[in-house]
Amino acid sequence: MFIVSQRAVFLGAALTQAAIAGVAFSFLHLLNIEGLLSSLFNIQVVEGSFFHHFEHTFFSLLFAIIVVFIYSQSYKQKYLTQDGLLGIIFVVAVAIRIIFIQKSPIAEVSEIESILKGDILFIGAQEFYTLLIILFIVFLFFTSFAKQFRFVTFDAETANAHGLDSRFWLLIFYLIVGIGISLTTRFVGDVFTFAFLILPASISILLAKRTNHVFLYSVIIGAIIPPLAIYIAFKLDVSSGPTAVVTVFVLFLIALLYKKWRK
Amino acid sequence: MVSDITKSIIKFSEVSIGYGKKVLHQNLNILIDRNDFIGVVGPNGAGKTTFLKTLLGNIKPLAGRVEKDNLVFGYVPQRDIVQPLLPYSVHDVVMMGRYSLLGLLKLPGKVDEEIVRESLNRVGISNLSSLNYNSLSGGQRQRVLIARALAVKPDVLILDEPTNGLDTPSHYSVLNLISEIHTEDQLTILIVSHLLTDVANLVKKIILFEIDRFQYGLIDEILSEENLAKSYSTDMEIKKIGGEYLITTKHKEF
Repeated sequence: MFIVSQRAVFLGAALTQAAIAGVAFSFLHLLNIEGLLSSLFNIQVVEGSFFHHFEHTFFSLLFAIIVVFIYSQSYKQKYLTQDGLLGIIFVVAVAIRIIFIQKSPIAEVSEIESILKGDILFIGAQEFYTLLIILFIVFLFFTSFAKQFRFVTFDAETANAHGLDSRFWLLIFYLIVGIGISLTTRFVGDVFTFAFLILPASISILLAKRTNHVFLYSVIIGAIIPPLAIYIAFKLDVSSGPTAVVTVFVLFLIALLYKKWRK
Repeated sequence: MVSDITKSIIKFSEVSIGYGKKVLHQNLNILIDRNDFIGVVGPNGAGKTTFLKTLLGNIKPLAGRVEKDNLVFGYVPQRDIVQPLLPYSVHDVVMMGRYSLLGLLKLPGKVDEEIVRESLNRVGISNLSSLNYNSLSGGQRQRVLIARALAVKPDVLILDEPTNGLDTPSHYSVLNLISEIHTEDQLTILIVSHLLTDVANLVKKIILFEIDRFQYGLIDEILSEENLAKSYSTDMEIKKIGGEYLITTKHKEF
């Protein structure tokens, strides 16, 4: 909701690609974070556990956070627009992902591509509970600091003048978005994550009369469409992720037409 | 009591303002008294916005000291920078004025609701409280932003180009409101505007920024054709008609 209202939609696209590039980087095994942590804390890594994926998750988060920091500092320079900067990050992330995968010593390119793109159908109990924790943390942050996020995304200049450090709050905001995107991309894929970052909020903005309703509608759309899309995908024998994106897009078109008709 | 009313509440001592290594003005010495009504004028790029940001504490002075005794500032930005996609109600927007005073986690309470109601009443738009901010006219939006600044319960109200892009009735109605707030609420006001005639007829003192130079004083002392010509690099004409200033550029015959 705030991403759309901030007109920072392309940040979501850049972050999903950066997160995937991070996962791809982890396949190079240049830094064995998982091994280092398991020896430090004397943890036995179990195949399929969240910890087993920690190295991928670590680099996914690291790449996303680096992008957030670069983006949050972009106001200091005058040679590039923020859109231009995000465009560069996007294409570079895609390019280095391809290079990282090609140079990976451990597996076939297509195999890694499928691992790092994620798929909603392959979410197990571990991933489900991880996503639930992410949802809880993001929800907690956005409800606890709703007034700060509202003010700085509505009018950063006045928020600053009234004593709220808008750069700090926007950095926190982008960090939460970055962490959320990098972890969800890992599990459900970049297209699904990006689509569900933008489309439910865009639909809600078209339909809602109050800001609180935008939040509520976005959550409802985000909860209802994926199971519906899985059912449609099963019936039509097509992939579930793209079906979910197309389904939510159809809903967006209906909302847009309804809005135009109402006017 | 008289000395209390006229006490200086803001003091710029030998202040240099600018960004990074770029110094826009040096040795600014400005005293702003309680209940002052000051116009900040000058050509584009002369340092008006930098001065405001330094005063608000958003950027640090490059040299010197700015003393402002824990003052609370109410800020009204240029209306065009506030173009929300989200459907905020007028009440929501004015309530934002309370956010910075509530602390990290506290939610607005009854006192805040009462202050929002008062602020809406003060600017004459209590009937618009439940409407969507995006559905309002320019003049109404400007009143909402002024109400939000008043909801801070400010010691100093700062307005940046408050009449930009308004139609003539809204333009004068907003200027009258600002004047009323100054006289009735005894509020110290700084108004930035490129409309010299408006400023001249509204305020008591003026800060005239020029490239590398500034002047500050009573309006009659500062407002001269010579000063304006230097500042704006063009010949200006100042007329007084019925006690009101009319400032125009002199037409040159080619």
